[in-house]
Amino acid sequence: MAQVVLKDVVKNYGDVYAVNHVSLTVEDGEFVALVGPSGCGKTTTLNLVAGLIPMSGGTISIGDRDVTDLDPKDRDIAMVFQNYALYPQKSVYKNLAFPLQMRKLPKDEIDKRVQAAAKTLDIVHLLERKPRELSGGQQQRVALGRALVREPRAFLMDEPLSNLDAKLRVQMRSEIKRFHQDLNATIIYVTHDQLEAVTMSDKMAVMNGGFLQQYDSPANVFANPVNMFVASFVGSPAMSLVPLTAVTKGTDVVLASPEGWELPLNAANAKKALSAKSNKVVLGGRHSTIKVHKAQVPGSVPGKVYTVEPTGDVTFAQVFVSGAVVNVSVDPTFLLRPDEPVFIEFDQNRMHLFDGETEMALKLAD
Amino acid sequence: MSTVQGQAIFRDVPEPKRVGLRQKVWNSRFDYLYVAPAIIVMLIVIGYPIYYTIELSFFNTPASLALSAKQFNGLDNYVTILTSPIFWKVTWQTVVWTVVSTFFAFMIGLGAALALHREFAGRGVLRAILLIPWVVSAVAASYVWKWLYHSDFGAISAMLTQVGLVDKPINFIDNTSTSLYALIVVNVWKEFSFAMIMLMAGLQTVPDTLLRAAQVDGASPWQRFWHVTFPHLRGVSMVTLLLLAVQNFNSFIIPWIMTGGGPAGSSDIWITHIYQLAFGRQRWGVASAYAVILFIVMMVLGYFYVRALTKGDDARAAT
Ligand SMILES: Nc1ncnc2c1ncn2[C@@H]1O[C@H](COP(=O)(O)OP(=O)(O)O)[C@@H](O)[C@H]1O
Ligand SMILES: [Mg+2]
Repeated sequence: MAQVVLKDVVKNYGDVYAVNHVSLTVEDGEFVALVGPSGCGKTTTLNLVAGLIPMSGGTISIGDRDVTDLDPKDRDIAMVFQNYALYPQKSVYKNLAFPLQMRKLPKDEIDKRVQAAAKTLDIVHLLERKPRELSGGQQQRVALGRALVREPRAFLMDEPLSNLDAKLRVQMRSEIKRFHQDLNATIIYVTHDQLEAVTMSDKMAVMNGGFLQQYDSPANVFANPVNMFVASFVGSPAMSLVPLTAVTKGTDVVLASPEGWELPLNAANAKKALSAKSNKVVLGGRHSTIKVHKAQVPGSVPGKVYTVEPTGDVTFAQVFVSGAVVNVSVDPTFLLRPDEPVFIEFDQNRMHLFDGETEMALKLAD
Repeated sequence: MSTVQGQAIFRDVPEPKRVGLRQKVWNSRFDYLYVAPAIIVMLIVIGYPIYYTIELSFFNTPASLALSAKQFNGLDNYVTILTSPIFWKVTWQTVVWTVVSTFFAFMIGLGAALALHREFAGRGVLRAILLIPWVVSAVAASYVWKWLYHSDFGAISAMLTQVGLVDKPINFIDNTSTSLYALIVVNVWKEFSFAMIMLMAGLQTVPDTLLRAAQVDGASPWQRFWHVTFPHLRGVSMVTLLLLAVQNFNSFIIPWIMTGGGPAGSSDIWITHIYQLAFGRQRWGVASAYAVILFIVMMVLGYFYVRALTKGDDARAAT
């Protein structure tokens, strides 16, 4: 296994920049999730690493080799595709053997490795079948097996679970995670599902519009999103964002809404709010840090319940606050009705403030 | 559509009861009515000639159109044909004509389809040019090629002599040893575009990710073709080959216009031979027996064609 380094990687189709100056280091044995909405350039990035499409700029190295100009077959990587890309006319055995045959390994070595991979993935009994005689989950495993037999330097996976049903997806998620741990494999894993990224990866690279937005551990991305896009993309339900205006009142700083209410900020948040380019500040809060009251308490702001979604353990609700939708969660015994007026309390220590102009997170300069 | 959906949508339709044939026919009486005009026309213009051909094949016919004077002679016509050396010569030429034409039309079509499958400047124009043979009239093309082949005025001989490959003009189509092959060249030229179109459509069905997977797996371009592209083309290749074979078996225009089967029958194939027998020598009975034999062969080919088509359906339905 090896380290994968992308330096200033660019891919453009005319004026469309599918990948825009992305730099990223995947350490040896690391599981990195490349995550972002559809069309943000994840597949393109992965294909560039694989060498399947020519780069417009930048360099890529795998291990200690610069592979920028190498063919896919010489990069020593294995790839798992969204639709599995199994050879439909070949049996499972032949599918697994194919990459080894192409590398001209001796027959008995091929057989040994195919059997070993089949055993690891528990598909020994399927070896004689054709791909179309397999379920989605089984096909997925064969696709993993075909990547596994090669003992490549890195695995590239492009939305490998998105064609599976929800239950199987959860199961395969943990299997791929096991696969990563057992092999100590370097994996770049593309997904549009932030939950997959958060649950599986050591680090997640959040992309949007061809740009790398943030590259950090899921916990850090979750706790300290660098901008409003990352904040609203990671986490379910999404972080709520309320656009407000920062106003200095004597020694205090408050966030004022057009409706006239004001939310006083503590010292740290006040300093952040004042560091914004203009007085436009966006307040962000995750549902788990927001309290809902039926009566006004100090530091709470008025809102109106929009929808209520009981899930059993917890009830989610959407509340209109100053024209924005705020996701909250309450105990199932705390009954809320649509259109009911409520008061929302943000946790001052865990709230997020963003610059309304640049959409970047406001941080304390230290 | 799944049965579940079917039930949901057609909830009010009662379970079908077992009904007698007469009832079934009566129930779909309007369906029969709607196809009746087509059926009647087909019976008149196809069914009756087939019947009449089969009937004539058992008769000794006068060499005139006074066919009422025909005399039943059992299988004599068939015996005559199958024992005649000309029959076997023409059959061999038909096989050569069909197999060689089909093979080369397919291979050249495949090459062209593969070449045109990748993006390059001028692809559209080239594709249009390569389609010309298929769209020009066979009659016109035959006359043009006849002139191209002409030993005194033909461009091909002129070019060959000019380049110095041969020292005197070659007589391509007035020569018993080259006439059939000269016609095959024209035929291949005429119909390779058809194979090209079919295979180009087939190439569209090869999934891109499969080719990419093979690339990552270390397959060379040739290996990718052999392991990924070609297996995907199998169905369309079968259909194309069979359609070409049937069409070549039934060829008439090119050989008839260019050589009329000559010289000395050296480029005669079944259809031209039958035509000659019937309308040249007015041996209606023998020609009919020939046609019946051809008909049987065509039905066998047709059977395989339909089977290849429906087999593709089964495979697709299974995935
Ligand atoms: N061959 C191509 N030609 C033009 N634009 C492309 C091509 N491939 C991808 N793109 C564009 O690049 C962007 C990123 O695509 P992709 O990497 O497939 O996104 P993702 O995998 O994140 O959904 C999209 O806007 C897409 O339209
Ligand atoms: Mg994609």
